[in-house]
Amino acid sequence: MLQVILQVCSMMKSDVVIVGAGPAGLVASIELASKGLQVVVVDEYYRSGGRLLGQLYKDRRKKQVWAGKIIANDLVEKAKSLGVKFLFETAVWKIENKTVFISNEKIKQIHTKTILLATGAIEKALPLPGWQKVGVVTAGAAQTFTNLHNVKIGKNVIFVGIDPLSISVAIEMKHAGVNVLGLFLPAPSMLNQKSNPKEVLESIASASGMATNPIYRFGGKLVHGLYTKLLLKFLKFNLLKINGIPIYIRKAVTEINGRAEVESVNVKNISIDGELIGDGKNLLVDTVCLSGGLLPLIDLSQLASCVIVDIPELGGFVPLHSPYLKTTVEGIYVAGNITGIEGAQVSMAQGKLAAWSILKEFKLVSEKDLLQAIKDVEQARSLSPITFLPNIHRGRQIMNEKWADYKNTIGESFDG
Amino acid sequence: MVKNVKQKEIRFNFNGKEIKGHEGQPIAAALFDNGIRAIRYCDVTGELRGIYCGIGHCFECRATVNGISGIRTCLTPIEENMNVASNLTGVQYDEE
Repeated sequence: MLQVILQVCSMMKSDVVIVGAGPAGLVASIELASKGLQVVVVDEYYRSGGRLLGQLYKDRRKKQVWAGKIIANDLVEKAKSLGVKFLFETAVWKIENKTVFISNEKIKQIHTKTILLATGAIEKALPLPGWQKVGVVTAGAAQTFTNLHNVKIGKNVIFVGIDPLSISVAIEMKHAGVNVLGLFLPAPSMLNQKSNPKEVLESIASASGMATNPIYRFGGKLVHGLYTKLLLKFLKFNLLKINGIPIYIRKAVTEINGRAEVESVNVKNISIDGELIGDGKNLLVDTVCLSGGLLPLIDLSQLASCVIVDIPELGGFVPLHSPYLKTTVEGIYVAGNITGIEGAQVSMAQGKLAAWSILKEFKLVSEKDLLQAIKDVEQARSLSPITFLPNIHRGRQIMNEKWADYKNTIGESFDG
Repeated sequence: MVKNVKQKEIRFNFNGKEIKGHEGQPIAAALFDNGIRAIRYCDVTGELRGIYCGIGHCFECRATVNGISGIRTCLTPIEENMNVASNLTGVQYDEE
């Protein structure tokens, strides 16, 4: 009976299975394959690139355009030329004893020596009354359909949730010719922490390198201090605009209306402390983009029994990992947003670090190489045009401390 | 803006209606291009449903593709003569 099952299940062998063909996974695949390892990359999408595919913005610090689609294509070409195998439209549903179980039509299992989880992030839900209606999409979906598929997702569009991602996508949509009426806060609820104007203002100020960010010109360093409240009072009467798009830091959307599809939203004023004021107004729109922020996508690390820790500075629950991106399960590594929410440039540097960490296990690189890869991640972080989480540096420190504690508890010295 | 190179035209069916799209487009993007945002009815509430997350996590955009149910239209590229069906069959769209 067992023999029959094994014959039916088509198997594949490899040195490394990478889950996720985004910036982290692609860079890792190139590093690993160029040292002669057999690499298989699995992705649920029908093409590689991950979130790189939708990214298109001006990097103000480097004075150049970040065209993710082109960067992704270059990486894929290089990976393919080095013999990296790609399995698209394929999901991983179990990882056990160095076997990766997949949903592919032909191949059901991959037996591998090491696994790199580069699964990225998922968008947090932002539940508002009416959010289930046709015409309500996430900011990430809006980005993908606008920049990758060249589709206009609506005629009159608003964003709910003001953060570096929604600002960037709103600018991209306006460039694509969509009428973006503005960005609003969500109505306060127990489920979201995105309705406090003071915190929101501070978080968007940290996206300083992205496109033209007038928060710095406008409020200067005032945003991060005692003067935030003063600035917010001022913003009640004056409109803040980024690239001509109004940012309503003192208005919240309380409900999305429409019989079949989205027809309008209710908007109310909001106090500096995040409380709704007055009766509100009705605004005619056909599309609402919700931006609730990003969460590391850690499901597979949980399935593989990795130890998980909660570090809000990194974006929430993440697999415990060493400075070299090793998890608590032997042979399983992580890179990219599964370790914490950061920009694509950091994910790419982490992809290289994870790859070199694996190469070290195969005795193909030295300790010194590994230290350089760590420095490269830190440099990418300091040069990153987008910072999603203001205390990301502290988050990375906490992770290192927790890893050291873990190593002590299980009686091993700190060896990364 | 990054301009796409003009791609091959593909024809497929959505609930019996012929839809034109371009090679490499997922089903949901081709429907969007044709002004169709509602993909199915919710079995529980009877309300319309369409694209939400666009990356395969939410399953809101699912339809029956070539006889296989539960296919996510945001993840599945269109193919010539592909048959996409949902419980919207028989619904008349308002022509603009």
